[in-house]
Amino acid sequence: MAGSPIFLVGLFYWSHLKRRRGSRNLLAVAAGLAALGWAALVLAALGPAVCAAQNAPTRVVIDETDRKINVPAEVRRIVSIAPSVTETIYALGAEARLVGDTDYCDDPPEAKTKPHVGALLNPSFEAILALKPDLVISSAINRPETVLALERLGVPVYATDPRSVEGTVDSIEGLGELIGAERAGKMLAAQLRARLDNLHRRLAGRPPKRVLFVVWEDPLISVGPNTFLADALRQAGAESVVETTQDWPKLSLEEAVRLQPEALVFASAGAGTKSDDYDGLRERPGWGALEAVKQGRIAVVSDALDRPAPRMIDAIEQLARQLHPEAFGAQEGKR
Amino acid sequence: MQPLTIRRIVLTCAVLAAVLFAVSVISLKLGAYPMSARDVVLTLVRRAIGHTDAIPSDFRLVIFGLRLPRIALGILVGVALSVSGAGFQALLRNPLADPYVLGVSSGAALGAILSLVFTPHVPLAMQGAAFLGAAATIAAVYFLGRRGGQLDSATLLLAGILSASFLSAIIMFLMTTLSGRDLRGMAFWLMGDLSTAPPDWNLLGSLYVVLLAAVGAIYTTSSDLNLILTGEQEARHLGVNVGRVKLVVYVSASLLTGLAVSVSGSIGYVGLIVPHVMRMLFGSDYRILIPTTALGGAIAIVAADTLARTVVAPTELPVGAMTALAGAPVFIYLLRRRLP
Repeated sequence: MAGSPIFLVGLFYWSHLKRRRGSRNLLAVAAGLAALGWAALVLAALGPAVCAAQNAPTRVVIDETDRKINVPAEVRRIVSIAPSVTETIYALGAEARLVGDTDYCDDPPEAKTKPHVGALLNPSFEAILALKPDLVISSAINRPETVLALERLGVPVYATDPRSVEGTVDSIEGLGELIGAERAGKMLAAQLRARLDNLHRRLAGRPPKRVLFVVWEDPLISVGPNTFLADALRQAGAESVVETTQDWPKLSLEEAVRLQPEALVFASAGAGTKSDDYDGLRERPGWGALEAVKQGRIAVVSDALDRPAPRMIDAIEQLARQLHPEAFGAQEGKR
Repeated sequence: MQPLTIRRIVLTCAVLAAVLFAVSVISLKLGAYPMSARDVVLTLVRRAIGHTDAIPSDFRLVIFGLRLPRIALGILVGVALSVSGAGFQALLRNPLADPYVLGVSSGAALGAILSLVFTPHVPLAMQGAAFLGAAATIAAVYFLGRRGGQLDSATLLLAGILSASFLSAIIMFLMTTLSGRDLRGMAFWLMGDLSTAPPDWNLLGSLYVVLLAAVGAIYTTSSDLNLILTGEQEARHLGVNVGRVKLVVYVSASLLTGLAVSVSGSIGYVGLIVPHVMRMLFGSDYRILIPTTALGGAIAIVAADTLARTVVAPTELPVGAMTALAGAPVFIYLLRRRLP
């Protein structure tokens, strides 16, 4: 065994020193004990492994990243490691089965009271195991390494991976089926689809507004065309002025001025209307040179826009109302 | 200082091994999953004597699937970083030498990032690429650091520093221009992180073989390193093959750096501080410095990682942040104390 060399050296040394007297004896005994301890630890680590017996009935499902996973026939204890998943579970009325979520799951507010398992990119595997989940649900915001590691620990992980607004609605419906809230999922998805259809009808024939979506102000970061945020903009009758292959392009203000977007779009917590917070932009160097800023064409929508969950549709509607008030009738132009 | 005897080396190492054992047991007990000391000991004993069926499956996962591999990984990284630091310091006769200063870890990091971009789902590709990155950086720095046919310490150090910043710039460039989910974990990884994935025992086993080989290779040169430290000319007159010794240390130390970076990213300060502390405690004879530095590095990383995963549990901090947080002030204190 790998522990024995350490053990033997310790034993040899201990017996060697036994003949000497004095304070070193104590050290020698301590060293001997440590060697024994090490041997035990290494033995334990290398001991035979066993596989946990699965006795609950399971079914095989395919998740949104095409992984085959074994899910209990009836899911009872869910840990969500993405805010969008947490929000969807609440929207499906299945929150009683949600036993844990992340530090960033803040919507609905009740989600903040669930036990947390850490951050999105490095949740604590121990905290997840401690909640004894029979299913962990992840999203594209998590890292694939996290999913693999949980899988290796024998915890089934269903990975959602919505890439567009319609994909998000499909994903919500799929989650409902997965966690035994099939009817709620179908109803919610039908509702959301109807709202999107309504939006499409109202916006039909109107040319999309050229907007600059501001993910971050300083430095200025916007969105690329392959993100679902870009799709959310399209659904709201807008298109990003930024042409890039990157997902989160960093722009210079100079480039923004050259592009002269028709409107700026900000996503912010608790927003739904134009906010005075953004009037200050006019005084800031560079920003003042933007026509959209000069004329106050700034749309502020809820930060739900960048979370692939039911409230994203609310945010899309908010944005559409602000960008195309005429399509919603004058009295509905502002909420 | 008393004369250096085998007895003194073994005794000192045994005491450090006892400290490492104590730190590991404490680390095994602490974590987001609540477990009593009794449960931990029972689980270990049951596994050691083969009564595995009696272990609750959660305990088995937490102890053998998460905490023990992580401690083993911490020991591996701690030994690799601190011994390579001690090796580079002897090689360059410069107390500031460290895998980071020499650009070796930046090279390894660049290799690992490139493998994440181009071969994201190939197992072990990241480790291999980090090895290659470290080796290529070494080759470049070694080549650039030669002057008049032999290694010049100052030129080498400068070449290392320049390579480090050049490679970091490439890493920044890649991280800005390439986007995709596979790079988002990089921020953690660049800070040094042991939490990303619990390693499996087969991978750990093969990494430990490399570790022991490289540390062993450096240890065989320790008497020669003592002579080289008193002066290369003198060492040469005493029959030391200085070029060969330097090559052995250089290659082994880079191998150790690539090993550490491939599994844990860039954990700073360990390679710099641990050898210095050990020198102050046990003298600068490399025959005792190498083994004590190895054990000291293991203790430092296991302790830092235990703190990193418990202070704000269940949220985990990168262990590199902990080592920098604790390491920088300790280093400044040691520097000031040494001033006359």
